[in-house]
Amino acid sequence: MSATAVASALEVQSVSKSFGGLKAVNDVSLTVRPGEIFSVIGPNGAGKTTFFNLLTGIYEPDEGSVRFFGKDITGMSPDKVAAQGIGRTFQNIRLFAAMTVLENVLIGHHIHTHSSYLDAMLRTPRHLEAERRAKERAMELLDYMGLARRAGELATSLPYGEQRRLEIARALALEPKLLFLDEPAAGMNPQETDRLKEDVRRLRKELGLTIVLIEHDMSMVMSISDRIAVLEYGSKIAEGLPAEIRTNTRVIEAYLGKGAAGQAGGRA
Amino acid sequence: MSRQTANVVVLGVAGLSLALLWLTPGALAGFLGLIGVALTAYLRPAMAVRAGSLALLALGFTLALSQVPRVSILFYGLVAVLVALITIPGIPRWIKGLLGVAVLLISVPIAGFNNTFFLELGIQIGIYAAMALGLNVVVGMAGLLDLGYAAFFAIGAYTWAIFGSPQAANFLSGSFPLPGNYFYLFMALAIITTAITGLLIGLPALRLRGDYLAIVTLGLGEVVRVLANNLDHPVNFTNGPQGITPVSRPDIGWFHSLMSSVGVELDARTDYQFFFYLLVLVIIGVVVLVNINLGNSRFGRAWIAIREDETAAKAMGIPMLGTKLLAFATGAAFSGAMGVIFAAQRTFVSPESFTLLASITILGMVVLGGMGSIPGVILGAAALTAINTDVLKSFSEYLNNLRQAGVLNLPNQVEPAKYERLVFGVILVLMMIFRPQGLIPERRHQLEIEEAKEAQQ
Repeated sequence: MSATAVASALEVQSVSKSFGGLKAVNDVSLTVRPGEIFSVIGPNGAGKTTFFNLLTGIYEPDEGSVRFFGKDITGMSPDKVAAQGIGRTFQNIRLFAAMTVLENVLIGHHIHTHSSYLDAMLRTPRHLEAERRAKERAMELLDYMGLARRAGELATSLPYGEQRRLEIARALALEPKLLFLDEPAAGMNPQETDRLKEDVRRLRKELGLTIVLIEHDMSMVMSISDRIAVLEYGSKIAEGLPAEIRTNTRVIEAYLGKGAAGQAGGRA
Repeated sequence: MSRQTANVVVLGVAGLSLALLWLTPGALAGFLGLIGVALTAYLRPAMAVRAGSLALLALGFTLALSQVPRVSILFYGLVAVLVALITIPGIPRWIKGLLGVAVLLISVPIAGFNNTFFLELGIQIGIYAAMALGLNVVVGMAGLLDLGYAAFFAIGAYTWAIFGSPQAANFLSGSFPLPGNYFYLFMALAIITTAITGLLIGLPALRLRGDYLAIVTLGLGEVVRVLANNLDHPVNFTNGPQGITPVSRPDIGWFHSLMSSVGVELDARTDYQFFFYLLVLVIIGVVVLVNINLGNSRFGRAWIAIREDETAAKAMGIPMLGTKLLAFATGAAFSGAMGVIFAAQRTFVSPESFTLLASITILGMVVLGGMGSIPGVILGAAALTAINTDVLKSFSEYLNNLRQAGVLNLPNQVEPAKYERLVFGVILVLMMIFRPQGLIPERRHQLEIEEAKEAQQ
């Protein structure tokens, strides 16, 4: 494998996806470097979530390829993609409602909990040991996300901001190398958003994660992203540093309409 | 109502019931006893009073049953005590265990020796409860709607029926029936064959979702029944609609001597019934244990995750097909083992026992009791089995008596026993309207919360 291939955490090469006549994602390429915080933005309906779903295996791209640390993961099923070390959260929180906070995180740790079916059925020492270790790890992660005292509560009884954090803790239990966050700040108040920003930076700094996020909250995107890609009508219209994106006329037009670029430039 | 008043009322009713059940045993006293159980559950008296009241009532029902063994409401009183023991929070575990074991191993056998119907009813409840617990893994935990579950029951039953009767001689050389003690081996074999069948049926079916899965399992369930019905030619495997009889039973000489060594003399009427009753109890214990163990393992959690949100479960690295197949095979294996017991206990197997209605009934037990809830599913099995085998028939007899006495002028068509499915359907509809979560809802960890709240009071 060449050195350049390994230098990218995620390498997306001209992926496209159509639903009937609608081209939801059109020939999008981008490269995310290891340890980067990379944001994908775009107006509503730009195909951001579809793009995410192509990367995480929920949809299979019609064309193009996705490489994760050099490994081709194009068209892999979501569980296999997850097993490669890609964790994700969802735009509309998707916690397991009937389960406790701890159990939700344990689900994330499923593939790292090694107890066989027979061991589980007979509650052998091996099973108990595996369970104990999984719970220990889950508690560590809950503690890391500031949710340890909530461990025994039902996931859905948490306030909104904490549910978002729990989703991240659950994704972390996969022990991922890369984390996809789909609109993590959606519906959050400013305090919660600030906390989220800190958390995302901490995840990169302390756990060495590569983070790709879709976000609408511009102040958040501009302040924490290393680089940003902009989608409009399924196509990538810009990519670059936050400062470049902020002044890119094509981007301002996409958000505010043609002709707005002159007045709004620099304040987007 | 204050706790003091509740204590006095509950103990008063329990004491009165005990006295009545002992001195004037009958339906009326039984009814009062049932009220006593209900009051214990709903008035929330002190812990000691709860335990004491249930103990008094269990004793009362037992005493009454030893005198008038024909009154089935007394038997249901015992069932109610068991249900109360499982569902009422706050009673120490050892008391629950002790009282439960006493009811199952002393009260029910006393009732059963006086009236073997109760043993038969207990066995039926047990067989269906174990199967419902198996289906609970599939439907309750993993959320996979399986409408052909009786197929596995059939495969288990035929596995033993064919080799435990002269039937196998039709297509194999060797001496058949196999000796009765092969029964135990065949239970293990049936677990394996039904689990494999579960995998084979599940492999295509589990690629489908929701409604489609339900339809496909319904079809495959019917396929098994139709096969059982028609595999009497060209080679006679199943003896077709006539069914297979007699199916061997295990040798129970050792059981006779074991029982007489603890002072219980068995006769030809009760020995096998009592043996199967105990066997079913043991199996239920194992099945419950396996259910709990799996439920608290990564497999159980994965099943529930799939039920809750398939997309999120996949994104957490849980392989769909494999995990679903495991649930399907587990449920199938439970059903297969019970099929073997069913065949041996009845000594007769025919396709009629494995119709769509059987599948629906087992599903009904799971839904009625509370999907995913172990005590709920057992209660659902007890309730529906009792309704099907006893309550409706008794009610028909009661109406008949009234008719013959000239008190009631009903047309002959009005006979509840004939409307089993109607009554069954009405119950399910009412349940779905008023208590869709089931009689004893799944309470993952909510019980602890409730107990914690009580402790604060």
